[in-house]
Amino acid sequence: MNKEASAETDSKELNLSFKEKVEVVRNSRFFLMLFPFAMLALIIVIFGIMTSGRFFRPTVLRSVFSQAIIIGTCATGVAFIYSNGNLDISIGAVLGLAATFAVLIYGVTGSALLMILVGTITAVAIMAFNCTMSVVCNIKTITVAIVVTQIYSSISTVFIGGAGKLEITNATSSALENGGFRYIAFLAYFIFSVVVYHFTKVGRELRFLGGNENCAKQTGMSNGKATYISFLLAGLGVGLSAVFSIIDVSAVSVETGSGLGMDVMLATVLGGMSIFGGSRSNAYAGLIGALTVAALNKGLLMVGVSSAMIQGIRGVIFLALVYMNSERQNLLPARVQF
Amino acid sequence: MPEKGKVLVEVKDISKNFGVTIALSHVNFTVKTGEIRGLIGENGSGKSTVSSIIAGLQPPSHGEMEYKGKPWAPQNVLEAEEAGIGMIVQEAGTIANISVAENIFLGNYKRFMKGPIINRIALVAEARKALQKIGITDINPALPARMYDMQERKLIEIAKCVYNDPDLLIVDETTTALSQKGREIIYRIMHDMADAGKSVMIISHDLNEMMEQCDTLTVLRDGVIIDNIEKKNFNPNDIKQKMVGREMKDHYYRDDNDGYDDEVVLKADCITTMKDLLCFDLELHRGEILGIGGLSDCGMHTVGRALYGLDPVVDGKVEITGSKTVVKNAQVAFRNSMGYVSKNRDTESLELNASIYSNIASSGYDKNKVGPFISIRKEKDYVSRQITALSIKCQNAYQPVRALSGGNKQKVVFGKWCADDADILILDCPTRGVDIGVKAAMYELIYEMKKNGKSIIMISEELPELMGMSDRLLIMKDGKISGEFFRTDGFDDRKLIEYMI
Repeated sequence: MNKEASAETDSKELNLSFKEKVEVVRNSRFFLMLFPFAMLALIIVIFGIMTSGRFFRPTVLRSVFSQAIIIGTCATGVAFIYSNGNLDISIGAVLGLAATFAVLIYGVTGSALLMILVGTITAVAIMAFNCTMSVVCNIKTITVAIVVTQIYSSISTVFIGGAGKLEITNATSSALENGGFRYIAFLAYFIFSVVVYHFTKVGRELRFLGGNENCAKQTGMSNGKATYISFLLAGLGVGLSAVFSIIDVSAVSVETGSGLGMDVMLATVLGGMSIFGGSRSNAYAGLIGALTVAALNKGLLMVGVSSAMIQGIRGVIFLALVYMNSERQNLLPARVQF
Repeated sequence: MPEKGKVLVEVKDISKNFGVTIALSHVNFTVKTGEIRGLIGENGSGKSTVSSIIAGLQPPSHGEMEYKGKPWAPQNVLEAEEAGIGMIVQEAGTIANISVAENIFLGNYKRFMKGPIINRIALVAEARKALQKIGITDINPALPARMYDMQERKLIEIAKCVYNDPDLLIVDETTTALSQKGREIIYRIMHDMADAGKSVMIISHDLNEMMEQCDTLTVLRDGVIIDNIEKKNFNPNDIKQKMVGREMKDHYYRDDNDGYDDEVVLKADCITTMKDLLCFDLELHRGEILGIGGLSDCGMHTVGRALYGLDPVVDGKVEITGSKTVVKNAQVAFRNSMGYVSKNRDTESLELNASIYSNIASSGYDKNKVGPFISIRKEKDYVSRQITALSIKCQNAYQPVRALSGGNKQKVVFGKWCADDADILILDCPTRGVDIGVKAAMYELIYEMKKNGKSIIMISEELPELMGMSDRLLIMKDGKISGEFFRTDGFDDRKLIEYMI
């Protein structure tokens, strides 16, 4: 079908079925860009109305933001892994372990700088280990993640000890909280990720490899190298996130990082990206999604939904979004021709 | 004996649109019993669309059909199959990881079931019968389908289709994937069916084949039927003109005898691969179009893959002579200005879900860099130059490639490599499944590259294009070069075929 003919056609005379109309809208690239923002706006408006404005109080917004910054940093980093077609659900445990080591070093030295450095480096090192397991030993990343999750949590538990919690001084955490460290660190990481993702060869290669590995290889790309880079970049995000979560509660506990894997996945899909990677991946999905998840968590709590119910609601939303996002090919040839 | 010449299928005023694009517009035609009806037209003209509507793969947007004198509106393929309409599709229709027998009876296991258990012995025996029915004895139905190559898997599909004794057989662009032997099998089935008072619809881009095998040809262009032509009125130039809507030049191959440089740019030095090749030698010169032909299982596709570092070379080496670089893998090949167009377009040459833009841009990350960053401006330029030069039919560059027709997809693949400006290009069946309009454009491009001093290896199962384009032509048989021919001496197709078999 030639371009002129399709350009002349008015969509009204085509008698599109409802399903086809939905398809047309769903595949428009502007829709894909705007949908996550619309979801976020919608959630904010709904909770604003349901709580008769209490949702907009500074303390509430600050707490939403505190949570979003932890999830968002992680999700931004993990997007690198997802876009290459890999899944890693161990990041919650990685974050817990990195935070444990960071607090331990703080306990010994009393230095906030060392705490930040050790937290970040630990996370990067652990992610590199995860990646080596899957690249060198040829095990699927998700399988590695399931196994190492157990190992990392038990190491954290051993180091944290009987109290179930290791604390840092309030002075240090509030200095870091109010001194703008979190915002600067987050922004720097976010901008760095967006640039790497959209404007460098590495970022483009990750996405292309996630879409069709065979084709990418024939165009001179290497999956092993790209996988390493994606895990290292993700590790950096998880490490920063570990530091943010220490600052948030002035401590690390055996609970730190639990449930984060799910939050990150939910944030990714809410941000409009597929957790299966490929061409629709981008670097900002995690941030938008994290804001949405944090707003959802807080809003539901404020309108009196129990935290067990919140888990369920998030699960349902996640399933619905994954369903909507997945490209199901018809089993037999569906040749859409132009 | 059923009566011949009765109307079996009647298509009345059928239209079909995909999104905002019209694929078929008010199409009317009939298929009669005892008839072999050919559908011919350029890529995207609506041939596959109309046949897939008849076979229940998709519903029409508008219009109705009659089959065996009753209204016909199949809900799905199974309904059509039960009613006696069988279709062999263009794409691979077998599942790799289950056995041949399971493929043949896919969805019809019930008759082999004893309670919850499938009787595999009976299943395999029946599958063997199905294969024998079309004269195939060298495929073992107990083995998984992945053990067989594309041609053999196509034959498995044919066996599956014919086993059900259809009244109407639809063959969609199948023959281009088959060698002469496979083609003969399918022609015999078609004629046997027509003689028995059944009907056949065939879609192919091979005009000679269509003129030989069909009783009537229906020419489609841009979703509209242009003409129905009886066998006695077949005239190739007239049909071509009706297909593309303009006069076709007689020579779409090159007609020069320019020759090439003596300098060798790529050399295979006694290479041995896991399959097919044993101590294979080859030299490619600057500015040369080197054709490699043979039967589909002669090892020529492996040559292409091995030269580009995709199939491991276990002994010997492939060397880019200028820089003395040994091509160990595809990364080395790509970095040293080589390019490769796979014969498996959808699975290897394209990222189907990505846009035209991403696909073309994928070869230029290094070229479009400013410092460490990719310049979007340069990249846009890189992509749009190709879209314009190749006149890729699309709404915009951000359209996903999967929505394009076969010919346009192949143009995107070519665009990616033209933009890359590789010095050595290996093309494996570059014109498979594309229409003559697109073919002509590709030949012109290939010739243009040659004139610019690029070296091209063209692997193909179609002798005419090899003879039309090559400077030098290697014929392969059983993993070895059985003959070498030069453009300057002129090519003789009978002689070439002798060396193939």
